[in-house]
Amino acid sequence: MTDELLNHPGALTGDVRPTASYTLRVNGVERPVTDAWIGESLLYVLRERLGLAGAKDGCEQGECGACSVQVDGQLVNGCLVPAALAADSEIGTVEGLSGAGGASDVQQALADSGAVQCGYCTPGLAMAVHDLLQRNHRPGEVEARQALCGNLCRCTGYRGALAAVQAVADAREAALEAELDAAEQAAAAGPAAEPPAAAPPQPDHGAELPLYADSELWHEADQLIPAQPQGETPRTGGYAYPPTPPHGTPVPADWQQAPGEPFGAPAPGTDPFGTVTYQDAGPYDGTVYATDGYGTQYPGYDATPAHGIRLPEDENA
Amino acid sequence: MEHGGNLVNRTIMLPASVDEAVEALAVTPGAVPVAGATDLMEAVNAGRLRPAALIGLGRITELRGWRYEDGGTAVLGAGLTHARMDRPDFAALIPALADAARTAGPPQVRNVGTLGGNIATAAPTGDTLPVLAALEATATLARAGAVREVPISHLLTGLDPLRPGELLTWVRVPLLHAPQVFLKSTGRSGPARAAASVALVLDPARRGVRCAVGAVAPVPLRPLEAESWVAGCIDWDARGAEGAVLIDPAALAAFGEYVAGACVPEGGAHGEGAGSAAARLRRTVAVLARRALGRALK
Ligand SMILES: Cc1cc2nc3c(=O)[nH]c(=O)nc-3n(C[C@H](O)[C@H](O)[C@H](O)COP(=O)(O)OP(=O)(O)OC[C@H]3O[C@@H](n4cnc5c(N)ncnc54)[C@H](O)[C@@H]3O)c2cc1C
Ligand code: FES
Ligand code: FES
Repeated sequence: MTDELLNHPGALTGDVRPTASYTLRVNGVERPVTDAWIGESLLYVLRERLGLAGAKDGCEQGECGACSVQVDGQLVNGCLVPAALAADSEIGTVEGLSGAGGASDVQQALADSGAVQCGYCTPGLAMAVHDLLQRNHRPGEVEARQALCGNLCRCTGYRGALAAVQAVADAREAALEAELDAAEQAAAAGPAAEPPAAAPPQPDHGAELPLYADSELWHEADQLIPAQPQGETPRTGGYAYPPTPPHGTPVPADWQQAPGEPFGAPAPGTDPFGTVTYQDAGPYDGTVYATDGYGTQYPGYDATPAHGIRLPEDENA
Repeated sequence: MEHGGNLVNRTIMLPASVDEAVEALAVTPGAVPVAGATDLMEAVNAGRLRPAALIGLGRITELRGWRYEDGGTAVLGAGLTHARMDRPDFAALIPALADAARTAGPPQVRNVGTLGGNIATAAPTGDTLPVLAALEATATLARAGAVREVPISHLLTGLDPLRPGELLTWVRVPLLHAPQVFLKSTGRSGPARAAASVALVLDPARRGVRCAVGAVAPVPLRPLEAESWVAGCIDWDARGAEGAVLIDPAALAAFGEYVAGACVPEGGAHGEGAGSAAARLRRTVAVLARRALGRALK
């Protein structure tokens, strides 16, 4: 795919190992970097030059998200950022989450909800959850799945991580409400009362457009996605199925009633994951599905969901 | 690091305008322009590219937005990120491009990956490419002292490629004010590169349908015959009428088969038969094309 890059005029010409010296601002601290090869990724520089080994190196190709860091308040893969070009930016790493040495609320929630097994993906997930909750204080199920879809976890199956998102969102909301209540009572008690606690600090990017500043309107963007049925879906035929599969494709609540679909509800009593046979759809029968293939038309759901459309090729969809 | 000028030193350059950037490219011919670096760093990390110098394009703010030209054209900056193109204001302008941007990788990649980088990389699985091909977009290429305008399809097919020292600055896209659809089939339901994709736009003013199939060939393919055939099957006058059926369902299905037949060659000696990879790909493309037109006409 990027083979053309080899033929790039810049490839393999000139200085064999061009270097640069620069200063990175990591978690608010200036960290000088001297004579680093210009091709070094931010991930490499953080880990090998600055001793910040929180971000993990899983693939170096942007696939796994274990290296997730924030650059100018944006979640990015540290392995795909040329460190020298991040010199002007505000860099946030997982080390910055646990300010006073203890775990942050996000990290604690991940641990509590069973989202940590081997732990390799955890720093990246913590950054992704932190980033999500910064932009969206009340993420829905789909929003949370979309925000975490760039973080691979080979161990846990993501349910813990999704639970952690809700746990932190709940806890932060409760804390804020308690604070407001306390402030109200204090105000009612008299003018000498304590001032209300300040809101949690938000990164201030100043007036100038930072290098990686964009896409802060996550809420709006997500309105294109249909609301996910929350909570328990009514079950029919004694067949229990998870409301949404862990990989995030929303399943319409009434999918079982969709007539004539290859994925009908299995007969009562059969093992839902063992004995379902996908009918061979046979030659195309001329039926027109001008919908999303599930036989359901969502209002406003003409958009491809962020996680792509799965189209099993043997499905007559 | 000293940022008095915008060219920091000869190995790292951070121009603040297109003029500065093309100048930097001219004086340092070995330098590599870097937008979001998502494709570039993948190659660097894999040892496939050792840049002599980097020209960061992130400071060229003018290229990170878009403007309008003579009413009917949007001029998109090469530095527009996928995340930006996914936002509702942009989606209202060019819905198919927004849909493509929405599927182009995980959030960490879409936050920084750009339209210009997607075009310059010209990967078969580049998701914006079939959309730009269907829209018949053109690219503005700038180098020191010269600017030229090239159709995206010429750029991609190598008929008129990006030349050394050239920077992709703008992408001109006609605003059609009509339904557009981008559909993508992938191997998994998480973010993934396309196995096949279809971009379809309606051009009611010319009573045309334009369609491009991505990821099945090195460049997006336009099934021109299928396009002109199906345009004749559409009841254009009924558009907008309540409950109108604009196309016969059979024609819709035939369009899918027509597109697939045009874009995916018959499996070779080894791949013959209903279960072959070529047959499955054909079927995927047929379904995507049929659905895309069906949605556009709904
Ligand atoms: C995990 C992962 C998943 C991905 N998934 C998808 C996907 O589903 N669909 C998809 O389409 N892409 C995908 N990509 C690829 C990539 O994100 C896109 O191609 C992106 O648009 C590249 O843009 P960039 O700004 O990062 O380019 P860069 O990496 O900065 O640049 C790529 C190349 O283009 C050149 N270049 C960049 N800008 C210009 C310019 N203005 N003028 C001239 N040359 C220029 C650079 O010199 C370089 O050679 C994925 C990447 C990763 C890492
Ligand atoms: S190491 Fe960066 S995404 Fe895997
Ligand atoms: S806990 Fe092992 S990869 Fe996520």
